[in-house]
Amino acid sequence: MEKKRKNSIFTKLSDTNMLLLITIVVFFAMYIGAVVFLGGGFKKPQTLFNILNANAALIITACGMSIVMITGGIDISVGGVVALVSMCCAVHLDFGNGSVPTSILIAVGIGIAFGVVQGFLVAYLEIQPFIVSLAGMFFARGMTTIVHTAPFNVAHEGFNKLKQTRINVPGMGSLNKKGIYVPAYIEIGVVVALLVIIIFFIVLRWTKLGRSFYAVGGNQQSALMLGINVKRTRFLSHLICSILAGIGGYVYFLHVGSGSASHAVGLEMNAIASSIIGGTMLTGGVGNVIGTLFGVLSLSTIQNIVSSAGLDQAWWTGITIAAMLCIFLLIQSIVMAQKKRALRSDS
Amino acid sequence: MKKHITWIQHKLGIQHKLGLQHKLQIQPKAWILILFVMAALFGGCGRDSDHTEAQAENPPEPSVVVGFSQLGAESDWRSANTDSMLQTFTRENGYTLIYENGQQQQSKQITAIRKFIQQDVDYIVLAPEKETGWESVLEEARNAEIPVIIVDRRVAAADKNLYTCWVGSDFELEGKKMCAWLGSFAEAHGIAPEELHIVNIQGTIGSTAQIGRTRGLANAARENGWDLMEEISGDFTETRGREVMSMLLDKYDNLNVVYCENDNMALGVLDAIEEAGRTAGSDIANGEIMVVSFDGVNEEARELARAGKISCIAECNPLHGPRVEALIRQLEAGEEPEKHNYVDEKIFSAEEAVREIEIDGVTYKVEKP
Amino acid sequence: MNKNSGSLVKRLVGHQLFIPILAIILLAVVNLINDPGFFRITVGTNNAGNTVLSGYLITILDFGSELAILALGMTLVTAAAGGQDISVGATIAITGSAMLRILCGGVARPEKIAAPIIVAFLFGCVVGMLCGAFNGALVAIFKIQPMIATLILFTAGRSIAAWINNNELPIVPDPRFAYFGGFIPGIPIPTTVFIAAACIVIMLLVLKFTNLGLYTQAVGINENSARLNGINPTKIKFLAFVILGLCVAVAALIKVSRLSTINYSVIAKDIEMDAILAVALGGNALSGGRFNIMASILGAYVIQFLTTTLYKFNVSSDALAAYKAVVVILLVVFSAPIVREKIGKFGRRRASAREARG
Repeated sequence: MEKKRKNSIFTKLSDTNMLLLITIVVFFAMYIGAVVFLGGGFKKPQTLFNILNANAALIITACGMSIVMITGGIDISVGGVVALVSMCCAVHLDFGNGSVPTSILIAVGIGIAFGVVQGFLVAYLEIQPFIVSLAGMFFARGMTTIVHTAPFNVAHEGFNKLKQTRINVPGMGSLNKKGIYVPAYIEIGVVVALLVIIIFFIVLRWTKLGRSFYAVGGNQQSALMLGINVKRTRFLSHLICSILAGIGGYVYFLHVGSGSASHAVGLEMNAIASSIIGGTMLTGGVGNVIGTLFGVLSLSTIQNIVSSAGLDQAWWTGITIAAMLCIFLLIQSIVMAQKKRALRSDS
Repeated sequence: MKKHITWIQHKLGIQHKLGLQHKLQIQPKAWILILFVMAALFGGCGRDSDHTEAQAENPPEPSVVVGFSQLGAESDWRSANTDSMLQTFTRENGYTLIYENGQQQQSKQITAIRKFIQQDVDYIVLAPEKETGWESVLEEARNAEIPVIIVDRRVAAADKNLYTCWVGSDFELEGKKMCAWLGSFAEAHGIAPEELHIVNIQGTIGSTAQIGRTRGLANAARENGWDLMEEISGDFTETRGREVMSMLLDKYDNLNVVYCENDNMALGVLDAIEEAGRTAGSDIANGEIMVVSFDGVNEEARELARAGKISCIAECNPLHGPRVEALIRQLEAGEEPEKHNYVDEKIFSAEEAVREIEIDGVTYKVEKP
Repeated sequence: MNKNSGSLVKRLVGHQLFIPILAIILLAVVNLINDPGFFRITVGTNNAGNTVLSGYLITILDFGSELAILALGMTLVTAAAGGQDISVGATIAITGSAMLRILCGGVARPEKIAAPIIVAFLFGCVVGMLCGAFNGALVAIFKIQPMIATLILFTAGRSIAAWINNNELPIVPDPRFAYFGGFIPGIPIPTTVFIAAACIVIMLLVLKFTNLGLYTQAVGINENSARLNGINPTKIKFLAFVILGLCVAVAALIKVSRLSTINYSVIAKDIEMDAILAVALGGNALSGGRFNIMASILGAYVIQFLTTTLYKFNVSSDALAAYKAVVVILLVVFSAPIVREKIGKFGRRRASAREARG
């Protein structure tokens, strides 16, 4: 009996790899297709770097989202937390004579506060994560306007220096029509995002905590029998997600350099969509942060393709993302069903 | 069958979650649906990419590539502005226009400009969402030697050479015109200055239009001794305009002039006035509430101005396309265009009392809406 | 006697309608203390010259209607599928846009309507049911989590709505169209109240005279045993989504009628969140199973009551969300089974302590 359960968790991990493979293949197919058919900007490496620069915050928050989803939960407050973090940091820097280190502390602090409260409500009071984080989202969005209503750009000198810091990627630049060399670069946020992905890839794959996320998401009962502290694990997943939302919020803030109540609207849905495209299942127990990274990249590549193809984005972005989501959901649904059929014929 | 059921019950937990109970019947349907959706998506993309490819390979003539980053589509004015650009920079006119909608987010616009740089456009046209925060991206454009033409709102940068030139409206002049009209109107009807109880429903705080129009009113109110009771933002949208106005009507019994910084908000304001059982019009001595507004693009608002529901509209001309094209022609010819270019604008009112206004020695005729 | 009072507390606290009713009482008391004028209903004339009732209570009934109608369908979906439909706001935009397309015939400023209102409404119903069917198919047939399946229409809905009308914002010229979201001349009560009442009555009759309710609960509690009992869970889930689609169409009619036009990006914004909250406040398990439709309806009006109260306290519409969130968290925490159990225990302990003393 015991062996069988372990076995099923193990099988799911390989599901993770299969879905990851699909995502990576689709991303590369799409990107190469864009280079071949659309050419232009897509031939230049900086286009990919621009996608990374603009989506570093999404990568970080989607990574947290994946962890919560692997554990079987959901957190739709991340967009609100990102907006609240940018607003609080902006106010702190400009009106509070703050410094960059203290503003980073504020960002992480907000993340921890949301994580502790939401994690406690979800894990220990057993309230639906959807409702808890829905209230969290409302609260964060409302608080953002209470902190400061009007959007404004930060004038703090040290911060702007950090904002404009670039890491040039040697050999990746290109010559433009006029023969001027345009260098390729990434922003600091991208480094943070890649670090986050690597750290949590290691955590999920090789630590006890990581494996307990999969176990709890796969089947709480058997996780309990395996001696895993289910409540603590769920609490930690929400805590990690919110802290990452806090860090993502700071990276977002670093990218846009302003505080506004309308920042990151819909970010939570993009994070969920990226996770799904990256092969994380909302049912829990299946997923991978590398997949999430490729999910974000696929999502923004398709947006880029749509606008490069000259379609009015206001409609088409929404529709293509939805179509893409639809395809991935169906692929997942079918792959899983196929898998189960194979499993059943085995037994 | 029985065996099957016990098997299900055996593994209920996992099974239930994965919904594997009836995969047998899903298969064909699933594949059909997948094929269908994929065909739709890739068919769509394929067609469009062919299109662009053809464009890139054999352009009709050496065409000028223009990247246009519009800030969004929040009002009718904005849509008219976008349409003007789309209709000017057509392939027939020898242009390839890459249009990007910023959806009210500066970060999206910055991303769009970076994309234009990668796409090697010849000119960048930017309608900025806010005034600050453009230095680094404009510097990238300058380093790549791509001229940037700013339209509508301005860019506040210490280094004015970050952009080539600016085209747009003189928003403070619009505000001044409106206040001059209001002053003449009050004078013509014998209304004392302190009897004008004004609320200002502002546009998105920090936008050039809001700053200019607000300043126009604030200065005039101070000079003329009008009672400017409150300034509050309605974000240029009809919905917020209605909300804010309902709140103001509850708060002030005596308000009689609503200075609305665009037409869309004015529509919301009129709804709120009627909902509260009041009437909009210029007969403020008899309890009507006067609504004045800006833009004059929205046909419904023009109609309401003809009916006298909106007493006066100061035009804000959205047709920037031809003006921008003229500038690009100048640049192509190697000329140096003017740094700031204003478009001509009118003022409309159905009121007979005021036929012309004067500002700083210049006379403007008040036209029928 | 004392023992009885202890179990009474427990029974009271345990009742499903306890939370929404408690919330209404609390809100009423707060308003009564703040300004008794809150409950005044006055007779006035609106701009069309009709005699109408006005007052905060009427506002609550009026603007709570869409929410109550949506809560009907959302409750069924929640009970059957164990998940929520987050696309209702976007599908309201789609159906509303479709109705306007029929009414205005694709012209932005028509002189008169191109088709009778009833035709447009019926078309809207078909569109709403199609959207519901799309969601239902993904959930019931393809076994995708409801929230994720409906994420598709949530993302695409407003874009589709804009596409239907070519991004124009048509205005319906017929004043009769405004009756549905406003007043019918000669009747002082908002029409929305009648529409909501009709929907509620129809739903209750359907639940009473068919076994839909029973089957839905059976599917929600345990899909496998429902199937073993001869119920087809796929059909029931699909049906729940189609019914929600119909509710969406009615709500869209009201929403569009209120303005006689549409704004794709803001129409019914965040209404999905309010509708889900209504179901949760009604004490229905969001994981499916047993449901109480009256509790959800009550939940919907509680939310509107709360919104109106907050507006009364001059809370700006942007900051509204923060206050709402606090109230929601308090209500949800209070209604969490674990907390209720603790309260029940506390009540019992006090009762027994009193007994020991006496």
